[in-house]
Amino acid sequence: MNHQVYNWQLGRTMAYKYPESRPPRQVAWVFDTNKCIACQTCSIACKSAWTSGRGQEYMFWNNVETKPWGFYPLGWDVRLLEKLGPQRWDGHTYAGKTIFESAPYGEEILGVEMSQEDWAHPNLGEDEVNQQVQAKAVYEVPHTHWMFYLQRICNHCTYPACLAACPRKAIYKRSDGIVLIDQKRCRGYQECVRACPYKKPMFRNVTGKSEKCISCFPAVESGRQTQCVETCIGRIRLFGFVSRPQDARSDNPIDYLVHIRKVALPLYPQFGTEPNVYYIPPIHVPLEFTRQLFGPGVAQAVEAYRHATEDLWLAGLLMLFGATRHIVHSFRVEGTLQAGTCTGFDPRGRQIVRVPLKEPIVIRDEFDAQRNVCRFSVT
Amino acid sequence: MVNTLPRIECVVVNDWWWTASCEYADVVFAVDAWPELKFPDMTAAVTNPFFQIFPRTPLKRTHETRGDIEVLAGVGRALAKVTGDRRFEDYWKFVHENKVEVYLQRIIHGSTTLWGYRIEEVEANAQRGVPALLMTRTYPKIMGWEQSHENKPHYTRSGRLEFYRDEDEFLEHGENIPVHREPVDGTWYEPNVIVCGAAELIRPKGPEEYGLSRDDLSVEVRQVRNVVIRPADLTRTRHPRAKDGFSLIYITPKYRHGAHTTPVDLDLMAVWFGPFGDMHRHDRRMPWVGEGYVDLNPEDARELGIEDGDYVFVDGDPEDRPFRGWQQRPDDYRVHRAVMRARYYRGLPRGVARSWFHMYVATYGSVEGQARNPDRLARNPRTGYQAMFRTGSHQSATRAWLRPTLMTDSLARKEYFGQVIGKGFAADIHCTAGAPKESFVKITKAEPGGTDGQPLWRPAQLGLRPGYEIPAMQQFLRGEFIQ
Repeated sequence: MNHQVYNWQLGRTMAYKYPESRPPRQVAWVFDTNKCIACQTCSIACKSAWTSGRGQEYMFWNNVETKPWGFYPLGWDVRLLEKLGPQRWDGHTYAGKTIFESAPYGEEILGVEMSQEDWAHPNLGEDEVNQQVQAKAVYEVPHTHWMFYLQRICNHCTYPACLAACPRKAIYKRSDGIVLIDQKRCRGYQECVRACPYKKPMFRNVTGKSEKCISCFPAVESGRQTQCVETCIGRIRLFGFVSRPQDARSDNPIDYLVHIRKVALPLYPQFGTEPNVYYIPPIHVPLEFTRQLFGPGVAQAVEAYRHATEDLWLAGLLMLFGATRHIVHSFRVEGTLQAGTCTGFDPRGRQIVRVPLKEPIVIRDEFDAQRNVCRFSVT
Repeated sequence: MVNTLPRIECVVVNDWWWTASCEYADVVFAVDAWPELKFPDMTAAVTNPFFQIFPRTPLKRTHETRGDIEVLAGVGRALAKVTGDRRFEDYWKFVHENKVEVYLQRIIHGSTTLWGYRIEEVEANAQRGVPALLMTRTYPKIMGWEQSHENKPHYTRSGRLEFYRDEDEFLEHGENIPVHREPVDGTWYEPNVIVCGAAELIRPKGPEEYGLSRDDLSVEVRQVRNVVIRPADLTRTRHPRAKDGFSLIYITPKYRHGAHTTPVDLDLMAVWFGPFGDMHRHDRRMPWVGEGYVDLNPEDARELGIEDGDYVFVDGDPEDRPFRGWQQRPDDYRVHRAVMRARYYRGLPRGVARSWFHMYVATYGSVEGQARNPDRLARNPRTGYQAMFRTGSHQSATRAWLRPTLMTDSLARKEYFGQVIGKGFAADIHCTAGAPKESFVKITKAEPGGTDGQPLWRPAQLGLRPGYEIPAMQQFLRGEFIQ
């Protein structure tokens, strides 16, 4: 690790194998953990689209796991956290070690090796709470007994551990920030599988090569959001492009959520890869736990989200989630919380979609004279 | 399967998915799946605002199937030939003429929320992905809006909300005022007793008036047993099977990963169906890539000597489950006794166990398959039916119950369609459709969850399961990896 690069999520420079080289654009997602019901429609949509072949049976490039007991693969984050040891933030600056800075002697990255059996149970821990519930218990926010759903895809990191680990330089980052494994160059050493802290590269024994989420690049290239976003029935996901903090545009949906309102946070920023999937953290889970996953901004994010219904622009933007299959490059909110609209635009400023901030309630006349029929709530 | 089916002369099933019903059918008609419908169809539900149209598709059929309505029409035509009565054929006239829109339009005309739609128009819209809404009084539908805003009568005899029932059946069974009845089976206490703090207000006919003994708590008799008990006294009673080691209320609710059983046996779905899914079936005992399981409170499980991930037996009342007379039929019993995985689940209070109800039950063919198939899949070698249990299922321990006040002939109620208030039997109100959903069970260990000589299921053995936490997992739960 012989280069110093700036990682804005850590608020400092850090060691990385290659010099800082940010692509002109960076794909990014925002997932609202509060709205997810773990139906796994995203997982099935992704699997149907990309991993239904031989040797891919066990792969879920997209998965949803229940925290704290869900893991795919088994113990992926706990095992790495254990190796890394307890770490510390100094305000919004990370005062601990990243996986690049804590590699053991002779290695470049602190990684965890997984066995084939570790990938066996994708839905382990589903709906399991942190501790035993008691009869007649009463819960207030934050809950004493809690769980939440964590949606996981490749983070298309700014400083990918997989890319740094590949001895063949088979992994590359495109100009739109998508991280891909070149199937022609890959020799299946699985260094990427070992190095990725999120465990999203996966080995395919039929081809002898590793594979990972490709950010549905054919869709993205034609202006469409990824499969996992488009098919989400809970409308918890938004896809777009994120800027560096200093370049943030207030009309860019992802920038607004990540940089302006700071309601969406990276997962395990302390690992140091500058991941580009951002999560609106669960508001009912104690901050001690969510800070461990989402970093020091979690209290502010929870507070902002809890007041989203009083925040015209945030409320408007949250309504755009799942409202269109096209990539929304900019948005505008007009009107009031009660009667306003949020409009999404394409790169040329053309309107793609317009949604009301509040779903209108319609009361029909009891007698429809035009059609000569009475209308009832019970048919 | 064992007690009921032999009394039925012929079972004919229309299905687009090979289910356990098909396994036991005499005739199975393979019909089109929704994306293959060559005749348009439509549906709606009380719980969502959409009027859902299935437009006819230009896609080719995957298999040699027919529309389900074609099957009915074809059977009608055949019956007309056999009997010489043309009405069997005429009944389906517009199917034979490929104009089912006539029937659909008639349904639209019969509904106040659909009146105004033209089937041709909504089908054309559906082909373009444009949805249609039910035209209820309000959007979104607000049940009781007319009653609360316009003082319109409720759908009762008096037009008011009624909290007193003076129909004979309700008086006879002590349910003329709101009372609580314990479940007929799924309780730790005396089953089906009327729990009432004001016993002087009800005068149910007791067991003696039916010629029954008050002590008779057998499963059939207690369905009609009217015994009143005060709330404070209830917890002093016990379920009659408690003395035999039965200890758990067993609930079998719906799960998020399937609509009833459709398409739960697909590998991609089955692997998500609970925590035991494994595409590679590292443990060859698994019936499929996902399998049935029961959630247990960890303290309950430990008292029963059950570890997380073990295989367990789930037994209902031996009087009638898994079927009446099982003691004399060991081969059938082996097929129908429930064996499933146990999961430690801290979301349950003590004394309650839970299984999801959608999983594909074991059949004679699947049990035979698991014994004979080289890969040990619980798959019927002749039909391909894929079970998600090694033997039995959650339904081995549950059954339906008949409730007198749910089968009355005197209650005023709305007609199924329209606004007419009628009286007596109505199919969607009175049919004895008690779902086999809950019971009182005994759970015992069948086999350890581990493989290769390990007693524990691997995730528990590695300390990443509730009750087995390694120190790192405990630190993680407390959020201690960030100081």
